Amino acid sequence: MIDAERLKILTESAKYDVSCSSSGSARANRKGGIGNAAPAGICHSFTPDGRCISLLKILLSNKCAYNCLYCPNRAEADVPRASATPDEICELTIAFYKRNYIEGLFLSSAVDGSPDSTMERMLETVIKLRKVYNFNGYIHLKGIPKADRLLTFRAAQYVDRMSYNVELPSEHSLKLLAPQKSKESVLLPMRELAAGKRALAEEKSKKKPRFLPAGQTTQMIVGASPEADGQILRLSQAMYRKFSLKRVYFSAYIPVVKHSLLPDKTAGLLREHRLYQADWLMRFYGFSAEEIAGEGDNLPEEYDPKCAWALRHMELFPVEINRAPLEMLLRVPGIGTLGAYKIVRARKFAALGFDDLAKMRIVLKRAKHFITCGGKFYGADNAATVKALLALEARGERYEQLSLFSGEGAVLPMPDAQENSEVRSGTEKRGAEARAQERFALLSTAANAESARTGQL
Amino acid sequence: MNIYITDGTTDCFYTAVFAACTDRDCIVTSAKDFQLPLGARLVEVATDEEKCGRVRKKLRAIDGGALREISLILRRGCAEREMLALRYIRLLIEKNAPVRGMLSHPAVLEARDAIKKVTGEAHNFTGFLRFMEGENGVFYAPFSPDNDILDLILPHFLRRLANQPFVIHDVTRRKAALYNTRDCVIADTDERVSVALSEYEQGFQNLWKEYYRSVNIAQRPHEKQMKGYMPVRYWKFMPEKQDTN
Ligand code: SF4
Repeated sequence: MIDAERLKILTESAKYDVSCSSSGSARANRKGGIGNAAPAGICHSFTPDGRCISLLKILLSNKCAYNCLYCPNRAEADVPRASATPDEICELTIAFYKRNYIEGLFLSSAVDGSPDSTMERMLETVIKLRKVYNFNGYIHLKGIPKADRLLTFRAAQYVDRMSYNVELPSEHSLKLLAPQKSKESVLLPMRELAAGKRALAEEKSKKKPRFLPAGQTTQMIVGASPEADGQILRLSQAMYRKFSLKRVYFSAYIPVVKHSLLPDKTAGLLREHRLYQADWLMRFYGFSAEEIAGEGDNLPEEYDPKCAWALRHMELFPVEINRAPLEMLLRVPGIGTLGAYKIVRARKFAALGFDDLAKMRIVLKRAKHFITCGGKFYGADNAATVKALLALEARGERYEQLSLFSGEGAVLPMPDAQENSEVRSGTEKRGAEARAQERFALLSTAANAESARTGQL
Repeated sequence: MNIYITDGTTDCFYTAVFAACTDRDCIVTSAKDFQLPLGARLVEVATDEEKCGRVRKKLRAIDGGALREISLILRRGCAEREMLALRYIRLLIEKNAPVRGMLSHPAVLEARDAIKKVTGEAHNFTGFLRFMEGENGVFYAPFSPDNDILDLILPHFLRRLANQPFVIHDVTRRKAALYNTRDCVIADTDERVSVALSEYEQGFQNLWKEYYRSVNIAQRPHEKQMKGYMPVRYWKFMPEKQDTN
């Protein structure tokens, strides 16, 4: 059994990986086995920092041969080192799972020795967990770049999701800050896995092996290097399209390590938050990266990106709530996918007035400036006033973000509330919103197909 | 004004609905400590197979999904649950068509809220429920949900822990699901049962607490959000929220 001391070291090193989601995989329990994966994802606990615990997030080892400047586990750092055996990880996973503490395992590792030897031990762990311990729950494996392709592909047949973290949004920054990594070393396995999954999907045979049923994700550190939000969003969009990624996570850079090549200031949670909002718009609201921000531009701080877009396109508003097509309702600031879906449903029964929207719990504070209900307009009637009002409202949100961030010492990446709500959403929301979101995902892929650009991948 | 008192079962409720549906300002309740308003007439309802069958049939004819919705509403832990269900039924009968899309009608909104609370809590407990390993190898999970959700969460755990004998115990409603890896029954219980724990149990609980402490980012406190997602009243049975050790 693993001891508390090593558990502590291996967990503390793993906890900053943002991805906590355990959704997107349906895996049935086999006879004689333990566990299954629920497609909706389940939160098992919440820590005092407000984050959800869904998976046992742990490193196999934090002894690293690499020296990424920003990382607390880099070779040169003077920190306690530990590693666990595959059996120790398996036992712990099973014991926690049986007690319903967790949904599954998120296994990661520092480059202990060579990429191949590290990946081999990770592979051994997941194969043991599935075959010897008969575990059918969720497994997320963080791949080791530069490991042999055969190892990677074997792992993909046992786990639900894999991720390779891009970390820095350009080759130049990667060279500078993570000298042993290159953009290609991270993108190559992502590309190969995406191709592998596609090839398997086309195969006709009935007895196909499972292959990453919950797909791939990645993470980028924002603000350690000079790339603008517009560039980050374009890169995300290209990865969503080319590698069919399930999620791109952003984490605001926080200086843990002092170095002349690293900024001594954090990027701030507000920037991270705005990027997540923009990402949301790309995935569920049919926006493209180009619509959201110019390549060299950052997202505005004053308002969320949807507001910013609407303010640039005042000629399209107000829209009539009883007639506007779904795609347009979705572009109204303050109306979410669930709200848009509710409106479309309810207006079939009766024309909706302003009060009806309020009763349906659609927040109108922002939306009222962009809609009419039965021809009546309730917002402020000149663009300058609208801007001022929205900026004022967004101030509250910004303060909350800033106060969150005023704690002492290093503050590290954390998914925003939206993030958590994706994982923890109740059944009802899943039903309605998931349906709405599916439709928009379809809508946006259709739209994107036309304008598909090659991106810089 | 008539006050229909039911025994809390669904059948008895539908029996009451048979009369209450058209009895405009009546009250239907299963609350034992109901305060009688002045001049009210008490009607103790006894389940009547025929009446309750006819109500069910009628509702099923209007809307195939309605019975399930009503069964969810009746699981609410609040005293008004029968009235919420009754108002929803009256609207169904009045419109003679499914009404769940009428999102600006108060009866529909109330019903939706109630259903959401029940299914939402059931979803939460698929995560928040905690098992302890007993000496005899049976895993024991006590909980005390706001709503009557034991049999809603049961299928999830039967699938997931198919090879693990377990007991899930609703301590407030004093009933438990007993599963021996083959059959599952729901039985009445005392509020407290004593369970001898396996010798490993404390060790794993301690590791879990260590994990919980380590994975938290202490520099970023956000207790409000934690309590919003995981209400304090649920903490009683979660080892990571017990401050011994
Ligand atoms: S390879 Fe990973 S663990 Fe090693 S220094 Fe770089 S970021 Fe840290």
